Amino acid sequence: MKPLLKRLVAAFGVSVMATAGIAADWTPPGPVKLMIGFRAGGGADTQARLIAEDLETRLGWKIIPEQVTGKGGLTLATALAEAPADGTVIGMLVTESLGYNMAAAKTPLTPADFTALTTTASFQMGIVAPASKGWTAWDQMISAAKDGTPIRFGVMSPKLADLAYLLGQSQGVDFNIIEVKGGKAVLDGVTAGDMDVGFMAGIQTNGVAAGDLVNLASAMSRPLKQTPEAPAIADLGVPFDADGYFVFVAPKGLPDEAKTAMSEAIAQIVNDPESKAGTMIGKAFGGPAVISGDDLQTLLQDGYDAAGGLLEAASE
Amino acid sequence: MDLLDYAWAGVLAVFQGPVLFSIFGLSISATIAMVLFGFLNGIFVGATPGLGGPMAMAISLPILISIFGFSSDALLPVMGCLIGIMKGATVGGAVPAILFNTPGTPDAYLTTLDGYPMAKRGEARRALKVAHFSSASGDTFSDLVLILCAPFLATLVERYLDLPEKTALLILSLSFIAAVIGGSVAKGLLSAGLGIFVAAIGTGEDFYPRLSLGTDMLAQGFPAVAVILGVLILGEVFRGLEDLARSGYGRPTLPGHAPPGPPGNDKIRHLPWQDRRPLLPHIARSAMIGTAVGALPGIGSTLAATLGHAAGKRRHARKAPDARAFGTGAPEGIAATEAANSAVSGANLIPVLSLGIPGNAAAVFLILAADSIGGFNPGPAVFRYNQDAVNPELIIAFGLFATMLLANLINWTVGGTVMRSMAIMTRIPKHILLPVVLMLTLTSIYVQETRMAALWFVIGFGILGYVMRRLDISPLPFVIAFILGGRLEETARQAYAATGNDPFFLATSPISAIFVVMSISVIVLAQYRRPTTAS
Amino acid sequence: MTRRVACWRLPRNSGPPSMTGRDVNANTVLGLVVIALALIVLLVWIPLDTESGILEQVRRKVTIGDAMEPSLAAILMLVSGILLLVEPGGPALSPAHLRWLAGICGILVLGFALIRWTGPVMAWLWVDGVEYRLLRDTAPWKHLGLITGSIAIVAGLIAVVERRLSVRGILVALTVAGGLILIYDLPFDDLLLPPNGDV
Repeated sequence: MKPLLKRLVAAFGVSVMATAGIAADWTPPGPVKLMIGFRAGGGADTQARLIAEDLETRLGWKIIPEQVTGKGGLTLATALAEAPADGTVIGMLVTESLGYNMAAAKTPLTPADFTALTTTASFQMGIVAPASKGWTAWDQMISAAKDGTPIRFGVMSPKLADLAYLLGQSQGVDFNIIEVKGGKAVLDGVTAGDMDVGFMAGIQTNGVAAGDLVNLASAMSRPLKQTPEAPAIADLGVPFDADGYFVFVAPKGLPDEAKTAMSEAIAQIVNDPESKAGTMIGKAFGGPAVISGDDLQTLLQDGYDAAGGLLEAASE
Repeated sequence: MDLLDYAWAGVLAVFQGPVLFSIFGLSISATIAMVLFGFLNGIFVGATPGLGGPMAMAISLPILISIFGFSSDALLPVMGCLIGIMKGATVGGAVPAILFNTPGTPDAYLTTLDGYPMAKRGEARRALKVAHFSSASGDTFSDLVLILCAPFLATLVERYLDLPEKTALLILSLSFIAAVIGGSVAKGLLSAGLGIFVAAIGTGEDFYPRLSLGTDMLAQGFPAVAVILGVLILGEVFRGLEDLARSGYGRPTLPGHAPPGPPGNDKIRHLPWQDRRPLLPHIARSAMIGTAVGALPGIGSTLAATLGHAAGKRRHARKAPDARAFGTGAPEGIAATEAANSAVSGANLIPVLSLGIPGNAAAVFLILAADSIGGFNPGPAVFRYNQDAVNPELIIAFGLFATMLLANLINWTVGGTVMRSMAIMTRIPKHILLPVVLMLTLTSIYVQETRMAALWFVIGFGILGYVMRRLDISPLPFVIAFILGGRLEETARQAYAATGNDPFFLATSPISAIFVVMSISVIVLAQYRRPTTAS
Repeated sequence: MTRRVACWRLPRNSGPPSMTGRDVNANTVLGLVVIALALIVLLVWIPLDTESGILEQVRRKVTIGDAMEPSLAAILMLVSGILLLVEPGGPALSPAHLRWLAGICGILVLGFALIRWTGPVMAWLWVDGVEYRLLRDTAPWKHLGLITGSIAIVAGLIAVVERRLSVRGILVALTVAGGLILIYDLPFDDLLLPPNGDV
């Protein structure tokens, strides 16, 4: 009885079982759940779904994307940490989730509880004001603030709120920091006049190009691609930055062959400007930024360890 | 872009938007097809006692989202379909009311008073035509008011209201809804308070998901679909099934149910002008009453129908004492009721589109749709426009207006015919329909949320909805407060931060202070005058 | 009449007991329950289960904490409870209502258990070495739970109203399950029917 059924099962498409375990052509033992830590329909979600689509067409893997959002990616991290580490469950987040957010939250999880697969793209995190304010450079906003104009500073995460606070401290002004949910909300707030300036992670590109928005500064350790002359956050006296990447992770203990196969497959798609995901990343995030393997594991751990310094500085 | 350019772009988005299929080289726009589909569907469910527009919208929404996805291209087809259902159900509700003395929707109850006597006289066909003519007129009038008012109101809000005033406005709308929905202020407040509390679970700014009792199940908060469909749909299913079980199955439960009148021997093809003329003043009066009532969040079509019918009755008795009186089969009675309840559907989108505040169940589902798909946040920001940058949300808003006018066009052309063919729907046994609705709802929620926990939540909120109905607590303030609760907290936090952490931010500007005073007065006044208007 | 098996006793044709208004103090009872709940929420649940208080010192400024919104909601409920005390009358929940709810819940719990476990149990019984998790995208395994669960829920509820289990009820249930598979599973590759997102 049983062999017959086994054959039946095989006929229904689980024949891949037999080939599992061979490092060279590792395939997932079943359908892969891709947890997406971003709300459906946004740029990050689109990126994740396109990568899933490309993985399916190129490798024949079955990927089932699923939204797991909330608490700055920690909801996803908690669920992922408990999932089986056999390549059937992976997640896509931003590095900030496994860094600052994980450190700030009272959770026992650390980046060591995950297997880092690969990053796909980085943010062009700028400090952006509407052109209607008349500021063309950072210093003009600061002098306006010193003249007594209250400045409403829009941020979309606690880490960015800390950075805005430290910026105010180093520049000798007191920002009214408004925390909202998501980069789109900052853009809306700035456009509507509810905020005077805000962090934007790439969503400002079209507005800056059209002349409606101005990149006053880069919140990263490097200059913005679009506005290289804007000062970086370190030049403004803040020893922390908002560097960040989109990152794929799996639960801790993922076998090496699975780890290699998955991170290589994703990296290949992202690096291929002809692929659907590659095209999208080129347009929306200014091209791929792939870090994987041990480098990535170290990057995540460093981000987590550095968060303590920022948390401490911002609580002073 | 000019405002007219936006209007034109919105119309084009409807007619030249995503293509559903091409036939003989002619592309059929998905939005047009979905509006038509939704409208026909709406008549169908409106004519089915026990279903109704909100239930059909609830079931369709997840299926539509599965089909059209989460891109902003999905907004017009999905919301167009929901708008179609909403309008169709209003028309369809009159069918069983006239033919079988059984209102298909609650607001069609007053239609039975004159509709069924007409049917008994053998004038069913004429009664249906009167109902359709009045309903379509009221609806169209209301839509025109919406299109003229919503952008104006939104611009006003955007120009004069800063974050503190927006917070105060949300408080005012919540207290208004709590005070006017249902018969009792205490129960309205309870419903709204509970809604805000449920919205707080698992959310908040801290990394620890508040009030989650340390569980993973509550840590993601309650999915909006589970809460809303649970309270609105499952609560109704539980109650409906119990009523059926108690009354003995197979027999309709509504007390006034009666055998159909003699088959229509009135073979009129068109309602002649001499029949229409006396209806016009009633339609005009009721359309205005319905529109005014609809524009206020939370009041709803039942009250509009009551007011329209009452005003018409007084006027009719005075002006035409020799004609057939209201309640004895006067076409004017049908006209006064149907024009009023249909005029609510357009106007109740005024607070939705210009303020983001839903006023009834249909509006709740439109907000839920916009929320799930993304790319369109109903509220004053939708109508912001300047010359250089394109505001895609404004195009969607005009696209929605275009779908509403399209639905009206469909209503005027084929609506009457479809409506009159729906008599058969009243024959579907409700005790089979309701479990099917339940299973559809459960599966649709699972498909969206993909966790069993969501199903347990929906059952839990279904029980809450059932208990609320049994205790005469309206579930609508709960649902609206649940939707607005998160927004209220966010806006308050932002207003507080924006004013440099001023603890009296609600009292410092005159506009917000006035809103706050009004919020308190509306509760006090409603409590003081409570026994006069029970609905 | 005798052939029908009563699932649980319901008075026939008596109308909802709540509408008789025999319990004049129903609103008082409701008010007391609401007050008690609101106080528990306000004094126990919120303080123990939120990270930040009503007001919070963050970055050297006093900000609104996570306890603020639920506390205000609880106060609103408290006020409504007090108002209910002075409001006479109102319908009450009768034991019959509670029995009905318990019955509905029983059917739904059974249905959910079937939805969740039919597939895994079948996989465990019939196929060795392959977990259901790996079969969750493979027909017919992925449909088993929905089909049995649908029978329990749809046919079960119809049976409660009809007071007998009918073939028609089961046919309706199977049609519903088939329709759902047709709507969600066949055309959409990435959508998961219950319980396939949990396994």
